Amino acid sequence: MLLSVAALILIVPSLLDALYLRVFISSVIFTIAATGTAVLYARLGLVSLAQVALVGVGGWVTLRMWHATGLPFEVNMLAGAIISGVVGMLIGLPALRMRGLFLALITLMGAAGFQILVTGTQFPNGGDGVLGIAVTSIFMPRPLLGESDEAMLRYVCVVAVLCFLLVEFNRRTRPGRAWALIRKSEACAMASGVNVAFYKAWGFALAGFIAGIAGALLAGTLGVLDATTFPASESILLFALTVVGGAYHWLGLVLTGLLFRAAPAVLNDIGVNGHLAYVIFGAGLLHALITAPTGIAGQILDGLTQLAKRRAGR
Amino acid sequence: MMTYTRFVGPAVACLALTLSGTAFAQQKLYGLNTGKAASGQPILVGSVVGKTGPDDFSAGALAAKAYFDCVNSNGGINGRPIQFLIEDDQWKPEVAGQVASKLVKDRGVVALVGNGSFVEMTVNAKLYEQENVAVVASACAVRECFEAKNIASTNQGPVPSNIAAVQWAIEKLGTKKVACIGLNIPSNGVWSCNLTNEWLKEKGLSGVSVLMNPGAPDANSALLEAVASGADTFLMSLPAGLAQAFLKAGQDQNLRDKYKWVAPTPLYKQGIPESIGAYWGDKVHVAIELTKWDGAGPDGKRWLAVMDKYGAKSDPRDTFSQAGFVSANIFVDALLKMDPKKIDRANVTKALKAVKNYRTDLLCGPWYFGDADFHQPNHASMIVTITKTGFKSETGCFDPSGKYFDKIRAMEKAQKLTGS
Repeated sequence: MLLSVAALILIVPSLLDALYLRVFISSVIFTIAATGTAVLYARLGLVSLAQVALVGVGGWVTLRMWHATGLPFEVNMLAGAIISGVVGMLIGLPALRMRGLFLALITLMGAAGFQILVTGTQFPNGGDGVLGIAVTSIFMPRPLLGESDEAMLRYVCVVAVLCFLLVEFNRRTRPGRAWALIRKSEACAMASGVNVAFYKAWGFALAGFIAGIAGALLAGTLGVLDATTFPASESILLFALTVVGGAYHWLGLVLTGLLFRAAPAVLNDIGVNGHLAYVIFGAGLLHALITAPTGIAGQILDGLTQLAKRRAGR
Repeated sequence: MMTYTRFVGPAVACLALTLSGTAFAQQKLYGLNTGKAASGQPILVGSVVGKTGPDDFSAGALAAKAYFDCVNSNGGINGRPIQFLIEDDQWKPEVAGQVASKLVKDRGVVALVGNGSFVEMTVNAKLYEQENVAVVASACAVRECFEAKNIASTNQGPVPSNIAAVQWAIEKLGTKKVACIGLNIPSNGVWSCNLTNEWLKEKGLSGVSVLMNPGAPDANSALLEAVASGADTFLMSLPAGLAQAFLKAGQDQNLRDKYKWVAPTPLYKQGIPESIGAYWGDKVHVAIELTKWDGAGPDGKRWLAVMDKYGAKSDPRDTFSQAGFVSANIFVDALLKMDPKKIDRANVTKALKAVKNYRTDLLCGPWYFGDADFHQPNHASMIVTITKTGFKSETGCFDPSGKYFDKIRAMEKAQKLTGS
């Protein structure tokens, strides 16, 4: 499996033209962000509507770190991810007492708060002081292994695989078992000796950490960031598309990234207004809620399983 | 002089086509072929504009398209038609990078013409330089657009336009303190308001910046902040839609006669006097970056005629449309001098960078591209006042004073870019 993914990562970027290299870089970055949303939704049954804001936090810290220290991209990315993880955990603290609609609203307020802050202060671009705003933007260079668009696509794909593996590691170890129990029943989890508060907070921290990675990669790709990329509405859209794509399997998260960034770009490229994608997303969400609780990925995987069974039956 | 003649050639042809509609006129006045549509190998030209977002900055590209359509109907560039590809950056840096890569790398455009955006120049200036593609923009709004090696614009941007409006307000309205209302974008509102404030300081006066959230601009809050600043003059350094919202907020509080109201060029647009209403008649003064669009000059008339014939009715007729038209003319004139078989990106970039002392009655001064890291060829303005039914001229063309402009004028003289 890993070998075929490695082959894809090696071959596909060299087949794409410049537009789709850029589009797929964005798609993979938001696949990573969706991975964090999926941790909370699929493993803990919690709805977080602040994921794109946390991507912004990761991007902000990465840019500020680079302008302040000039350290290698990977170090700044790690710092962005850790800070974003802490912020994610803080936003998720109310989850210790509530879930469902009220938790979703609180996370959405967190996203709206970030939007207001970042449009008021903007992203660091080489200036002095804590905020680091300069009138003329200085661009953060790309990571050494991702200087061209082709190399950057490979780079973000490798990081995405590492993020999938990190989530899978958590799922298969103690946090995963705790999450499974919490999802069934918090009372049962407590009765079984699971520290519910800790593992919920751990889930939010992990989702924030992964969002921070995505933010760092976005900053690394563009060199500068703009507040228009991180409105609260984008967090809602990313959550909705995670449900449409499928939160329970990595394939669903890849589909989420493609729907989030590639679908509007493809529509624009063929001369159709990219905003039509929102109509398609709405229809997709209805479809997922009514007939496909495991998303498009779930349907594809079910279809493949049935096909395999039929073949085996012959 | 030669440049001017080349400009007038296709210009007159397009006007003649518009006015007479006869093949004879095309043949006689265009002078390149029989007046038939160009049918050779297309020359790919791109444009990146911020269409979908807080405001629409596509007027320049639409005017360029109208002119290219006119040229294509008149034999094109020595037989080769221009295929013009306009992309919308949606005011998003990610999208701006994507569409520029598509045009420059995938489609291989020879140049970009009529670009107008708040984000794309910041994101793409490096790409344009790396790929050696020249951009004759028409609605530059951010600092990076003027400080890029491969971008030169026919519009002024907010700095000269702001300062011209303020200089006139000091001389004619007795302005002492200015509140510069802009968008909180470092390379746009922050930059242009800071430089305006520095210019005021140089003159012994004072200015403050009032910055609006570009994601959710709140005109009422900005107005209250401007009032609280103690300024006697409000400079609305905003896109047209937001400037109108600011005026509406002022009208709601009946502040018209308590302050002086000036603005850079975006408010110079057909429909604005009617849109803001009779309440503001003779009270709002605008520094325009190109000349008046009802001017008597041949190019001014030709622009309107081409827009009527080849543009859509909904295409704006404003400063940015004029600027797009001038950008397209500069491009066409540069290409007409070239061997049609040798029109490729490297040669087009070389030809565009060689443009200097380019004169048209749509601009107050001569235009140049030049081979420099900084481009501010258009810096002379006119002032108009918005009346109840239209726009009234207050001044002819004038070049603002101050250190910022002295530096530009010295560079122009040293490099002989303006023929003086």
